[in-house]
Amino acid sequence: MSQEHGAYGQSDATQGDQQEQLNKQEQSRATARTGSGEGAASNAQSAVSGSTDAKLNARRKDNKPNRKPWLWIAIAAIVVIAVVVSIVVFRQRTSGSNAQQADTVTVGLTLAPTNLDIRNQSGSALDQVLIGNVYEGLVSRDSENKVVPSIASSWDISSDGLTYTFHLNSGMTFSNGDELDATDVAWSINELIDKQYHDYNLLQNVSSVEATDSKTVTITLDAPYANLLWALAGRPGLVFDADASYDAKTQAIGSGPYVVDSFEANTSITLKANSRYWGEHKAKTPTVVVRYITDANAGLNALTSGDLQVLAPVSENLADGLRKQSDKYTVTTGEDTDKFVLAMNQAQGRATTDIRIRQAMRYAIDHNELIASRGGADAPLGGPIPSLDPGYEDLTDLYPYDVDKAKQLMEEAGYTTDNPLKLTLTYPNIYSTELGDQLKSAFKEIGIDLQVNIVEFSTWLQDVYTNHDYDLSLVDHNESHDFSQWTDPTYYYGYDNSEVQDLYKQAMAATNEKDTNTYLAQAARIVSEDAAADWLFNYRITTATAAGVEGFPVNLNQTLMPLYDVTYTRQ
Amino acid sequence: MSVVARLWQALRNTVRTLWSTVSGRYAVTVIAVWVVVSLISLVWTPYSLWQMDGYNVWAMPSAAHWMGTDGTGADVASWLMAGSRTDLVIVLLTVALSAVIGMCLVALMTLGSTWSSNATVVAVDALISIPTVLLALVLAVPFGASIAVVVVACGIGYGLNLARVVRPQALLVANSGYVESALSNGASRWRVFAQHIVPNILPVASVQLSLSAGTAILAESGLTYLGIGVPSGIPSWGRSLSLSVRLASVHPLTALWPGLVVALVVLALNLCGDVLRERSGVHHAGVASRQAASEGGENDR
Repeated sequence: MSQEHGAYGQSDATQGDQQEQLNKQEQSRATARTGSGEGAASNAQSAVSGSTDAKLNARRKDNKPNRKPWLWIAIAAIVVIAVVVSIVVFRQRTSGSNAQQADTVTVGLTLAPTNLDIRNQSGSALDQVLIGNVYEGLVSRDSENKVVPSIASSWDISSDGLTYTFHLNSGMTFSNGDELDATDVAWSINELIDKQYHDYNLLQNVSSVEATDSKTVTITLDAPYANLLWALAGRPGLVFDADASYDAKTQAIGSGPYVVDSFEANTSITLKANSRYWGEHKAKTPTVVVRYITDANAGLNALTSGDLQVLAPVSENLADGLRKQSDKYTVTTGEDTDKFVLAMNQAQGRATTDIRIRQAMRYAIDHNELIASRGGADAPLGGPIPSLDPGYEDLTDLYPYDVDKAKQLMEEAGYTTDNPLKLTLTYPNIYSTELGDQLKSAFKEIGIDLQVNIVEFSTWLQDVYTNHDYDLSLVDHNESHDFSQWTDPTYYYGYDNSEVQDLYKQAMAATNEKDTNTYLAQAARIVSEDAAADWLFNYRITTATAAGVEGFPVNLNQTLMPLYDVTYTRQ
Repeated sequence: MSVVARLWQALRNTVRTLWSTVSGRYAVTVIAVWVVVSLISLVWTPYSLWQMDGYNVWAMPSAAHWMGTDGTGADVASWLMAGSRTDLVIVLLTVALSAVIGMCLVALMTLGSTWSSNATVVAVDALISIPTVLLALVLAVPFGASIAVVVVACGIGYGLNLARVVRPQALLVANSGYVESALSNGASRWRVFAQHIVPNILPVASVQLSLSAGTAILAESGLTYLGIGVPSGIPSWGRSLSLSVRLASVHPLTALWPGLVVALVVLALNLCGDVLRERSGVHHAGVASRQAASEGGENDR
């Protein structure tokens, strides 16, 4: 299950994402259900003993004379009275603090981190809860996925794109009281590169990171790298205290508005306001409790029973019930960079190397219908770049839903409904079974007999991701800025187009944002025209909050969840 | 009399026995409807299974869709009809497999040497402690989700149960005077097993098997829910149930239908077993052997 730290750029469907995607699935997992099968087995057992043991059965009946019913009635009455009294008392106590801002907000999330070591442990659950709350980066991202100041208040980029000069804020401290200055910043980034901490490979072409003075950090590159600032907004740019020593697995010392008060692996994290916080994002709520609830229905129950004030994400189908109670809950849908990619293996010998077959599949899928069946929150996506990433343009009109055209292309390729092409779709069981059924249904019409093979995530990793042994595959690629996967012929897509590769190189080497976006957009259009895959939809996150909750981030909140602004006023 | 005619006769007798009680009538009716629906679904369902309308998901029952639609917009009634044949096949195969396994074990227990029969008893007692679900999980690792996993896991589990339940009765017959005389007259052990022991344990075995049939349906639903039962794309009640149960809090009706079907059929199979047991206790085995059977059962424990 462990993922090498070095594989980030090209492995965005691995361990971290496994959990990430789990997180985003409307399906509830089966723990509670194990009981039903065992129950079946024990049923059989008890039926057995019941059927053969007439003697025992008879004895059993004699054993229970109803001796003192009044005693039981009295006990039951006492219990009922006790419960009623305690509920009334409790109600009064809680309603006493009416219409005041609560000291504690409890947030329900799905995907739990196993430890707090953000420099070594993969998985976006850590980014979600720690970045911007406990740790701060040299720069950070806003809710539109744009880079904004954080520890650096501003920066200059030389015209050749090789020197980045960051001007830091003054008076910054860590939560342990230590001063935060340029040496901490340079030390953190150099450590990351030297010790190859998680995501170190996002920093490309870096030749040196230096603290020029106590308030200035200079990063020098060998060659221009357009993604540098964005990379520094993630884990590579986080600033740690060079002088502090603590157990990073269970503790966290950063400069953010919150400190970790307590951490229970896979269960919860309690964040307390950092009394030494230096900046303008001061925590508005003294305590934020983050609880991890994997089962979608259990999460919903926790929200409706008042244990949670925020639940993210909520599956669109479950959210319907909350929408009907708009006086009690607010349901919002935010943007994200999740791309549900129907990969079509283009390795030699596969039927899917034939572009007509790939195009036919893209024409055969009614994306709007697919989205409608999932509750209508997701957005159609016609290419590899989602709306929050640089280089996005709307490509949905390249392959509109057109069954006749799809049939014609399949006929040209030599297949009809009477003589269908057999293909296997392999996808991890964290995604809904409906998706496979719907694709099978859509492809049936155009002469593709789809066999759907739903497997464990680890099996998918082994067969599809590592061994490239598949025809079609379906996975949620949730990373931002991940276009490079289309430029690597050894990636599991097997897509190899030198024009796309050149355009991506040019985009990364460009020294201004506009050129980068233009090149990326051109490359994305080619990938989509080539029908290198189909993008079923751009998953969007639905978040439910109890009435009275303000300031919870809506966009991107599965990777970026700044909590300083969150408040809850009891209604 | 040919084998077919003999089986037909046995079936008629069983149905007649069942029909004599109210719960038996219920069981016969439900099972008959089940078989008929399975056959009809081979040639006709209200909608094609793969006719899906994404704009009409989780629809309430209507004239067009008697039981509403599921999360893909497919017709729930059609999938349940088609699912009934899968479950019928699973039940038949499971019952057949557990009968074979059970009978083989009983043969070992009653015919072999003292050592081998004791060893078999110990082995059965040990193996019976492994839950069917666990067995299915282990089988699903190399073979993936498949009907065979359900059938084999249930077949083994229920076969062991069967062996345990019928052993006292089988021992009683094996130690009886007529078996001894048959053996001393030179009859082979297998012949004795087939001619004397099997007919005598059939009533108890058939009760046990009809209970297994009901449990097999529950197991199919449970295992399919866990993703190790009936694979994707094949209709089954467990599939319909698992697809709808996730959203039972939002769309309770869609979970109701497959749940109802499973409950009614399992109830029918269990009642069938109950009626057969009551009847067989009076007509075939007699009071003495029942007594012996229950004592045997106690000693085992």
